[in-house]
Amino acid sequence: MSNERISTNISSWNRNYQFIIYAALIVVLALIPVFISSPFIIHICILTLVYIIATTSLRLVMTSGQFPLAHAAFMGIGAYSSAMLSKYWGWSPWLTIPIGAILAMGLGVFIGFPFSKLRTFYYAMVSVFFGAGIVQVIVAFGKYTGGSGGLAGIPTLFGAASKIPYFYFFLALAVVSVLIMYRLEFSRFGLNLKAIDQSYLVAGSIGINEARNRVIVLGIGCFFAGLAGAAYSAYNMGISPTNIDMTATLWLVLYVVVGGMGNFAGPIIGTIFLYMVPQFYRGLKEYTPFLTAALLFIVIFFIPKGIVSLPKLIWQKLKGRKTKREISQ
Amino acid sequence: MTSLSLILTTGVNSIILSSMYILLALGFAFLFSIMGILNFAHGVIYMVSAFLCLKFTLLLGMNPWLALVCTVIIVAIFGVLLERFIFRRFYGDMNGTIVACLGIIAVLQNSVVITEGYVVEKIPEFAHGFMRIGAFSVSWERIVTLLVGVILLVLVLLFINRTKQGQQMQAIAQDTEGAIFQGISIHGIAALACIIAFSLAAVSGSLMGSYLSFSPYMGDNITMKILQILVLGGIGSINGILYAGLILGTLDASLPIFVNAAAAQAIVLFVIVVILLFRPKGLFGREV
Repeated sequence: MSNERISTNISSWNRNYQFIIYAALIVVLALIPVFISSPFIIHICILTLVYIIATTSLRLVMTSGQFPLAHAAFMGIGAYSSAMLSKYWGWSPWLTIPIGAILAMGLGVFIGFPFSKLRTFYYAMVSVFFGAGIVQVIVAFGKYTGGSGGLAGIPTLFGAASKIPYFYFFLALAVVSVLIMYRLEFSRFGLNLKAIDQSYLVAGSIGINEARNRVIVLGIGCFFAGLAGAAYSAYNMGISPTNIDMTATLWLVLYVVVGGMGNFAGPIIGTIFLYMVPQFYRGLKEYTPFLTAALLFIVIFFIPKGIVSLPKLIWQKLKGRKTKREISQ
Repeated sequence: MTSLSLILTTGVNSIILSSMYILLALGFAFLFSIMGILNFAHGVIYMVSAFLCLKFTLLLGMNPWLALVCTVIIVAIFGVLLERFIFRRFYGDMNGTIVACLGIIAVLQNSVVITEGYVVEKIPEFAHGFMRIGAFSVSWERIVTLLVGVILLVLVLLFINRTKQGQQMQAIAQDTEGAIFQGISIHGIAALACIIAFSLAAVSGSLMGSYLSFSPYMGDNITMKILQILVLGGIGSINGILYAGLILGTLDASLPIFVNAAAAQAIVLFVIVVILLFRPKGLFGREV
């Protein structure tokens, strides 16, 4: 949505290096519960994984030029439908989580068709309103959904005793989801999306069906959002509208933008930086948001393209080359 | 309450809500059309003004009107500083705007939460007593709010259309480069726009603060309303904002009578979505 073209090209690093780094990262993550026994840190890691799934799917939709500002609401659809199905009808969460994800995807596809008529700003606005409408509907049916206080008592996957099985579950979920989205992004389909983003006219002229691709990617994005939300609700044993309202969506967008929109790893880094790191200076208690805001300002003022672009920025400074912003000023 | 008095009360409420919404949306539209910035933080400014006014009247024991004026002055200065140091960097840059505004929201909301806690209070009234017409009574408070809102609205509209600065603003909104060629100072007019926009938000916040009880998080709701008005009315059209504000104010005042508050919000939001699907430019929108 900005006037500047954001590059969504493949990073210039050698693909093999990337693969090794990712594999090493996963191994390190898998070993965390072995070394760290604090349930609080495990909890933070689990939530980070949930947000990683959500932000990566958000970015996937953003690569097609859409700004789906209703993402947290779709997480809510997955979460609430999974929660209500398993709580009121007694279905096993293993069944309701995929169902919740599919319902979210269904709704995404359903609105994707009419929404795909709109571009950039207007699309963002209808997404905002639709998302807010979903949240209000959830609150309005308070008799079934627990209203603004939230829904509690949702059945869990592994019982409430230990968090460790949840950690591995979410790790596996995140790895599989990110892998799927990675393969989608760096495939013909992903190239189609980027083409649509860069110029929908030219993309249309070479036969890329803009509406169909946009709807498909929105469906995929909403599927993973619903998945993340449903799994979260089963883990948390409760879900409330404050987790899924407009502010939550904006923070998801924040994680993506601060991490870096142009790189696949951007949302992951952004989530870690903006969600995980603040948990460790929680000791500031009520002053915590100030530090987060300070981090936000530092990043947006000095590293406009996101944290992911930091190595390139440093390299440019060292070599004495000017950044694009300096050239244009 | 007879149905006639219900209708009259609802009518008064809807005009009050409409005028407040329109004031806020106009300020927001100034910022958007002149600087290309979607000021997500506008609702938070509204909330902060309400709290400032509260502090002035309660702690310093000021007359509410004096507190209103002081609040407006402080918020306007704050707006100029914001424009100079933060917004100027992000003219036309949507991503940066979102991040910067969220940072501003976090800082301001948290400051209010720290100093105020979650206690919900009301500002002492600007005017006391009730006005009665037959069986129907409405507090002077609301009449005053209504009058101030409408007068300010008329003043702002006159400003835009009749004064030199107002026409300069219109010029910048229509074609920024052309305006620069004509010698219009973008930064100066942007500062003026900020002053006006933030002052309008401050007035709305202070007035509504005595009308509704409030919390540090009421700004989010207001920002959503502002966006609805702006998009429904159409970008680049003042008439659109007036009509859309009127429609939304009326809906917000009348729907909660029939359904509960959340359902009313949901209905309004979905209606707007449907309207936008058929007419993306909004009711009166011109340009993209």
